[in-house]
Amino acid sequence: MAGPGLMADYVAALEAQLPAPVVRELAAGLDETRDRYVGEGLDAEAAARAAMAEFGRPAEIVAAFLQVSPVRRAARRLLVTGPLVGLCWVAVLVSDRSWTWPVPALMPAAPGVVLASTIALLIVASFGTRYRAVRRAGAAALAGVALLDASLIVSALLAGPATAWWLVAVAAVASAARAGFSARTLGRVRAA
Amino acid sequence: MRAEALKGHLDALLLAALEGGPRHGYAVIESLRERSAGRLDLPTGTIYPALRRLEQRGLIAGEWSVVGGRQRREYRLTAAGVRALEGKRADWLEFTAVISTALGGEPWPARA
Repeated sequence: MAGPGLMADYVAALEAQLPAPVVRELAAGLDETRDRYVGEGLDAEAAARAAMAEFGRPAEIVAAFLQVSPVRRAARRLLVTGPLVGLCWVAVLVSDRSWTWPVPALMPAAPGVVLASTIALLIVASFGTRYRAVRRAGAAALAGVALLDASLIVSALLAGPATAWWLVAVAAVASAARAGFSARTLGRVRAA
Repeated sequence: MRAEALKGHLDALLLAALEGGPRHGYAVIESLRERSAGRLDLPTGTIYPALRRLEQRGLIAGEWSVVGGRQRREYRLTAAGVRALEGKRADWLEFTAVISTALGGEPWPARA
């Protein structure tokens, strides 16, 4: 890890945002960069300053990691495709008088609350600038999307034969695909 | 050379830096510096996320090791990475040939 002083502060700024293994790798690279400058004749403090200048500002590095974050990319994809899947279900609701389905009848506000919370979390994960907040919001949003999609599919099954069965089939397939994508991404994020 | 000009080519440069064998992040940066005679001007800290992106796409694989008492994450090209590098190299050679010919005022030779 980086030594005391200036570089310790720099690494601490990275630690405040990025996961420990990522910071460990960055700190090792920073140490080697400083050692190269020392080898070129700079004193310890000048070498540390040169190494940090070469590496870039911590905010710049965090932003670069955010850009490649699987959570961020998944959240943006879900924000773009969400309205399409939603439209499929709205079409089902309208065509089949689906307000009579058992789940909404028992908990009329719950799906709306979960949906609104999930959208808010997706927005934070898509556009947030704090790595940890993006990661947490993204993980919660992915779980919310999977829960919503599973609930919609179960509700459609419990509701019995639909008038426009093909419309339900299209919506259910879209939801199943989205739930699978969300669950897989969530698994990768947790394993990382 | 500015970071903006490199954006579309960074992946190919990183894959090429790993062509000779596994390297850790700092060695990849050093390789880029040597290959460009120090003309690549981008914050080296941003190379690490680029390596992670290539790893997520399955083009390189990373593994932790300890060298000289320091923990390092070493990267190597995967088979998909080798294929991607070959494709990017071919695309680049064709691109530069077309532009060079166009800027030189010569017509682009028709393919046989």
